[in-house]
Amino acid sequence: MLQLHRSTLIAAGLALLACLFLYASLGVAKSFEHWKWTDIVSEGGTAVMAGSWVLFTLSSRPGGLVTRLLAGGLALIMIGSFADCMDEFFIISKTARWDHWLEGMVPVGMLVVTIGMYYWRHEQFRLNEHLQKRERLFRDHRAFDRITQLANADYLRRQIRHEQARRPGQPCALVLLDIDGFHLINREFGQPEGDRVLQAVGHMLLLNLRNDDLLCRYAGDRFALLLPDTSVEEAASLARHLAAMVGQMRHHAKGGRVGISLRHACSNADAAPDVLLAELSRAVSQPAAACLMASTAVVAAA
Amino acid sequence: MIAYRQIGDCFIPARHQPALILDYARSRELDEQGDKALRGTGLRGWAMPDADIALSPAQYLQLLANVMRELDSPDTSFMLGQQMLPGHFGAFSHALLQAQNLRQALEILCAGAARLCPLLTPRLREEGGLAVLYWTDGFGAPSQLPALVEMHMTAVTAMCRWLAGERLPWRYCLNRSAPAHVEQHEVHLGGDLRFNCHLDAMLIKPEWLDKAWPRGNAMAASVALDSAAAEAGADRLALAPSLLSALYDHLLANIRLGPTLELSAAAFGVSAATMKRHLARHGSHFQAELDQVRAHVAIHLFQARGYDNEAVAQYLGFHDATNFRRSFKRWTGLTPSLLRDGLLSVPL
Repeated sequence: MLQLHRSTLIAAGLALLACLFLYASLGVAKSFEHWKWTDIVSEGGTAVMAGSWVLFTLSSRPGGLVTRLLAGGLALIMIGSFADCMDEFFIISKTARWDHWLEGMVPVGMLVVTIGMYYWRHEQFRLNEHLQKRERLFRDHRAFDRITQLANADYLRRQIRHEQARRPGQPCALVLLDIDGFHLINREFGQPEGDRVLQAVGHMLLLNLRNDDLLCRYAGDRFALLLPDTSVEEAASLARHLAAMVGQMRHHAKGGRVGISLRHACSNADAAPDVLLAELSRAVSQPAAACLMASTAVVAAA
Repeated sequence: MIAYRQIGDCFIPARHQPALILDYARSRELDEQGDKALRGTGLRGWAMPDADIALSPAQYLQLLANVMRELDSPDTSFMLGQQMLPGHFGAFSHALLQAQNLRQALEILCAGAARLCPLLTPRLREEGGLAVLYWTDGFGAPSQLPALVEMHMTAVTAMCRWLAGERLPWRYCLNRSAPAHVEQHEVHLGGDLRFNCHLDAMLIKPEWLDKAWPRGNAMAASVALDSAAAEAGADRLALAPSLLSALYDHLLANIRLGPTLELSAAAFGVSAATMKRHLARHGSHFQAELDQVRAHVAIHLFQARGYDNEAVAQYLGFHDATNFRRSFKRWTGLTPSLLRDGLLSVPL
């Protein structure tokens, strides 16, 4: 990411050098015994911190307005406090005004960062909307799968427990979806093509879900859906719809078109997550997948 | 004299299993983070290694450990397993592809273990209405054993599923407690999982062994096996097992004769002190190896022949059942009855 912002970084570095040069040429150096160490540490420290915030911001964000505002404001704070710190090493004549202007960059920088924060909030709302079906109420960046950008089984188990604790007794359905013959796609077209199939199926499923639903990558080629306020019958009908949508998809690999179809199994999310998932997992591995009604009775489904 | 390989011997062609690992790591973009994952592996870069480079088991284990650490994902061992077999490891891989049925595939796997899966040794046993494929550590890597077992069991499962054209109803017994990432086991292995088993084994009903596989070709398989024998040629080390596996087999064959370090060392043509040193290099010692074999024999007798404590004690040369019970608890941490209940409580 830092490569993207090379010119910004060079400009900030040059500004610091210019500042140092300005003080060194127009000021008179103070003797060592006049240095005030507490001021040097606090003002220099602020400059160093602000500099590291600039780096953190630039290294973690793509370009754009919010990034420019945040990094620019932080850079102003850094230069302002650096100038403040230079004051401790050089005596500037009382009549000069330029050093006050330099130090005045700190509040200006704070204003810019605040404006950046305001837009960042907007951006975050948009992202939340986008991520809603993937993460629901919590954010835990470690729980995301790198290939599909979906949450993993661990996160799913926590969400099931959370749903059970939040609204006990309310219907909530759990669906597992498995890609038919996924291992054959891997053998025939290679594992990178298999990864692309997983991504495509993930996207297709996300497009067909409600905002309150949660889609996870359980493991391998198995996806999991947590559907609050949904009966098993509704879940089965949704699963059939999803399977039909995925069946309609045209996935093109190098070696030709890959046909993708899904099996599914669903049940009420009313038991311990581990037991529930193990049971569903067994059901969905059967050639003809099924729906578990009230955790025990089995309803056949294609 | 028994031929064997040690952890420092370079005999694993870098283009075989190590190349698969490199390939997978590249597909996960690990090569973009520099050469950190290649440290201690004897490999120079991420490109396909030269044909004449061979790695030692220590280097191969290091490569696996590095890649798993850097990718830090619970599915790494399973994904590596998915691609491992039949593989492109010479004539044995060709033979596996042509196997007529499960029995032949597993026999090829066990015979060609040095080529097909050098780190873990598979062993097939059929008795008491059950076929058991179990795995033992080849080169003493206890910290990597859970991942190696996941990888090798996935490899056999995926290969059989592909060649048989259907999912085989394996039961998986794992010598570990239930992990946090049990979903990976469910998806890549199957739903019938047993943890805390004191043996890493895949169980299946014997009728599956002889069911014909659609791709099977008797002629091609036997041609491939002939060329495997020709490949090995006169080199008696070509297919030699690891020291730990060779010792396991030796102890298993002599388990009723009261094997000792001195007698076993003699069978390997080395002094007792040398044998001790070799074992230490594999992180083990003679008593630990002997205890493991005795525990496996006891489990086998319980399971396959329905022996009770008394009978097993007598078979293994213990004075009485109480002594055996105490020893068994020391080997496995469980009393024989507890283990029997855990292993056999639900029929396959």
